Order: sequence, then structure tokens, then C-alpha cells
Amino acid sequence: MTQIRIAGFGGQGVILAGVILGEAAAIEGLNVLQTQDYGSQSRGGHSVADVIISREPLYDVMVTKADVLMAMSQIGYNGAIDSLREGGTLIIDTDLVKSDREFIGAPFTRLAEEKVGLALTVNMVALGYLVAKTGIVKKESVEEAIRRRVPRGTEEINLKAFRIGYEEGAK
Amino acid sequence: MRYPFSVGRSDFIQGDEAIARAAILAGCRFYAGYPITPASEIFEAMALYMPLVDGVSIQMEDELGSIAAVIGASWTGAKAMTATSGPGFSLMMENLGYAVMTETPMVVVDVQRGGPSTGQPTLAAQGDVMQAIWGTHGDHSIIVLTPATVQEAFDMTIRAFNLAEKYRTPVVLLTDGEVGHMRERVNIPDPDEIERIYRKIPKSKEQGKYPFRDWDGDGVPPMPVFGRGYRAYITGLTHDERGKPKTVEAEIHESLIRRIVDKIEKNKKDIIDYETFDLDDADVAIVSYGIASRSAIRAVKILRKEGIKAGLLKLNVVWPFDFEMIERIAERVNRIYVAEMNLGQVYHLVKEGANGKAEVELIPKIGGEVHTPKDIIERVR
Repeated sequence: MTQIRIAGFGGQGVILAGVILGEAAAIEGLNVLQTQDYGSQSRGGHSVADVIISREPLYDVMVTKADVLMAMSQIGYNGAIDSLREGGTLIIDTDLVKSDREFIGAPFTRLAEEKVGLALTVNMVALGYLVAKTGIVKKESVEEAIRRRVPRGTEEINLKAFRIGYEEGAK
Repeated sequence: MRYPFSVGRSDFIQGDEAIARAAILAGCRFYAGYPITPASEIFEAMALYMPLVDGVSIQMEDELGSIAAVIGASWTGAKAMTATSGPGFSLMMENLGYAVMTETPMVVVDVQRGGPSTGQPTLAAQGDVMQAIWGTHGDHSIIVLTPATVQEAFDMTIRAFNLAEKYRTPVVLLTDGEVGHMRERVNIPDPDEIERIYRKIPKSKEQGKYPFRDWDGDGVPPMPVFGRGYRAYITGLTHDERGKPKTVEAEIHESLIRRIVDKIEKNKKDIIDYETFDLDDADVAIVSYGIASRSAIRAVKILRKEGIKAGLLKLNVVWPFDFEMIERIAERVNRIYVAEMNLGQVYHLVKEGANGKAEVELIPKIGGEVHTPKDIIERVR
């Protein structure tokens, strides 16, 4: 069983990233649970997506000790860092998050702006990085999930963003 | 029949969405509702799907109107449903009793949130159990199902329709904001493989005249359909077998109400559903249901690893209630814990069932978060 928590602020597409990761796991026939927690404001409040993936029957309903924490903003990091288990993988946006724990990461927002050309795709860039680093699901499953879940007409730019993040993580 | 969503494969969807899809697959073609967190996604899905399956989804002025419209739709022959959360469920209590009294098959979904009153709109709770069973006034029985996963939300919605039609009664699908909003992988079966039960309708003119007569001894009268040739009289007043008000004759009231209660209570075995985990050789039993039971399963597994012989009874139906089964468990174990997201509701049923044969203790949780396995383990250990 792998517990993944993605934390950021509202507007970064944190929950969609969690849903797509979950859908990818479902496509692979894995047992998967996705839940979310967010502030009532549409932008700027905290936003957390939890994904639990398991080959065994899945009873858990929440992330208790995250194996992977991806913090896309400082507010997300501050609220979620205590949930990362010792020795767990911490992934951060290296431009936006400061951490005194061991981490890996990349400037996701900058990559989305400069390489994809659309800051809104930061969630897909970060997801690509996470998938490359953890191997929790296959790249192809995520691409299929992206095609199913993003608004029609935005498939290509989201796939591009995902691949840029994936390449960054595979380096 | 084409469905506006994929069938015969698995999908990754929210509990609310699963309930809507299951309802349509069960044959539901009328939905009336009023939006409320965390049940609104059921309504959104119904508004989207119903026109595509020649069904009706209508927003009513409030929850009183919603359940009234559903009752009316059911009497025109439609399988019908409404969904709400605590505050709306409270508003439905009067007409839930009307549905019991008029023996109207229908499904009411309550996606529980923290209460009382408007409480905690976005957070889960299990505080409406006693309300689902006893919230409407007067002697009655009802059926209450409690799913713990998105798959169970799907499966139990179909079962809720089947039980409603079979026993000609309202059925409450009692879920919660956590199950309603979580996404899980759900197996959506081939529509041809789904068992669908339809209500008995009158076989003759003579039967059609008596919408409340038990012709075949199973306690469930055939139900005439408005607009198909019978003049049925439907009232919430105590009525005779033709449906005419008879409000002072003790024997008429007694036979009507006893039949309405007995058709459910005497078919307990058919209706009740539960699962057990490691219960056979357990010294300590945990009873739980719905979302809380998931943490209880994990707790049992951890306790077993520690050498504590714990076992779980997971209730999928909280009413009718198998008091005798609880007593049999109580005879075998030292202690029974009841884990539920409230300050003690099914706890009281379990205590009555245990009949003094074992100590019964409550593991309550309120505030919006589901029990952690640790919450349960620390009490049992």
C-alpha cells in the first residue's frame, strides 16, 4: 500500500492531479482511494489531495503516514509536512517551497510557464515528476487518465506538461 | 438501452456519482431533489443523465416537495428516488411516514454530515441512524442500508430499489459525506446481469379495488398504477383494504399497522446483510458499519498481529436489526465495542441485543474525521 499526499493552494489543480493519479491506478486494475480537503475559497486556500493505492483490498480512508508528499506551495507544505513518514519521499516545487527536510523536486511552476507556456499546467508538470520518480503507476496509464479527465480541447497541452515533468523526473 | 455512462467495466468515481448511476441501472426514472452538501453531486448526475434515459429529474422548492414528488411518481409506476443530507432529511420526516403508511416503494438517500441543524456541511458523520429508523412518528418499520465503500454505495443502491419494490416500502440508503465524496474504483456490471425487482401490480379488476389487501399472504399488497384503470384511494389516515379512511376502528388500525411492520420484521432474514472479519474465534468483537467499519477492519488486522483475538461484525443493514445474532456473539466474546461516528446510536441496539451476556462499550467519534484504526485499537487493547 502506498499513501500519497499532494498539497498546495487552491487554483493549482492539486485535486485534479490526485484524481488523475487515482484514475491511472484504477486503469491498471489497482485498488485506489482518492479523497480531498480544501478551503471554501476557490483560490488561495489550502488544498490537499490524498491518493492511496494498494494491490490488497483497501480499507483505509485517509492518509495516516504519507509515503510520498508532494508540496506545490509553502502553505501546502506547512500543513502537510507532519504527515510524511520518516524516510518518505518529499517532492517540492523548489522555487516556492523551503524545507529543512531531505527533498527532491524541480521548479514546477517555472517549468509550466517557460517550457509549456501555461502556468495553469503546473499540476501536470508536478504529476509527471512524481510518476517518474516513484514509478507508482505507468506513464501510459497517466496519459490515458489525462485524456479522460481534463477539459475537452486541453488534452494536448496537459499531456505536454505531464511529459515535461516526467522527463525532468527521469533525469 | 443505451446508458449515458460506461457500463460493463470499472470506473473511478465518487460515491455520489455511483449512487446516481446505480439508480439509473436499477430502473429509476424519476428524481426530485433540492441541492445540499454533500449530496448535491447525486442531483447533478441525475440532472445530466435522466433526460438521456427518458427519465425526469426535477428541482423542487425544498425537501418537503422533493419527497412528495417522489411519492407521487412512484404511484404512477416509476421507480423514484430523492437524495439529501441531515437538514433536508429532517424536512422529509413527515412524508417519509406518509410513504410508510401508503406503502410507497421509493429510495431516500441521506448523505450524512455533522449535525444537528446545518452543523458541518462538508464533513462526514453517522448521526442520523436513529432518525432514519425512527424519525417519522408512529409505529412502523423501515429498511436502512449503510454502505462503506463506493462499490457498496453502488451495489446497495440497486439493492435499495429491489427491497423497496419487493416489500412496497420506502428504503433509506444511509451513507455519509466521506463515502459520497471519495473516489474509488467501482465495477459497473453489464446491465443485463443486474437483478431488478419490480413491484407486484393487481392481476385482476378485483385486486385493483383493494390496494391494501394482502392477497397472497406475504404481507405485501399488489400496487395499482395511477392512470391504468384503477380508482385507488391513497391516504395517510388509517385506512381499510380499499384505502378508505377508517380512523376510529381499533381492529382496522391494528391489522394495517401490524401488516406494515410484519412485512419487514418477518422477512428480516431476507433483508439483513452483514459481513464478519475474524469473528469466529474472537474474544473481543467490534460492531461497526458504513465508513467507520473500514477503520475497524484495519484495527482488527493490527490487533490480530499483536496477538489480541479481535473480530468485526460489519453491518450493511442497520434496520431491521438482528438482536438475536448480537446475543449469540455476546455469548462467545468477553466484550463488544461499537465504533460509530456519533455519540452512541447503534450502540443502544447492540446493548439491547447483547442482553447482558457481554459488556458493550462505545467508541464514538464526532467532529468530521473518521475514526483512525488507532482510535479503535487503543480502546480495545
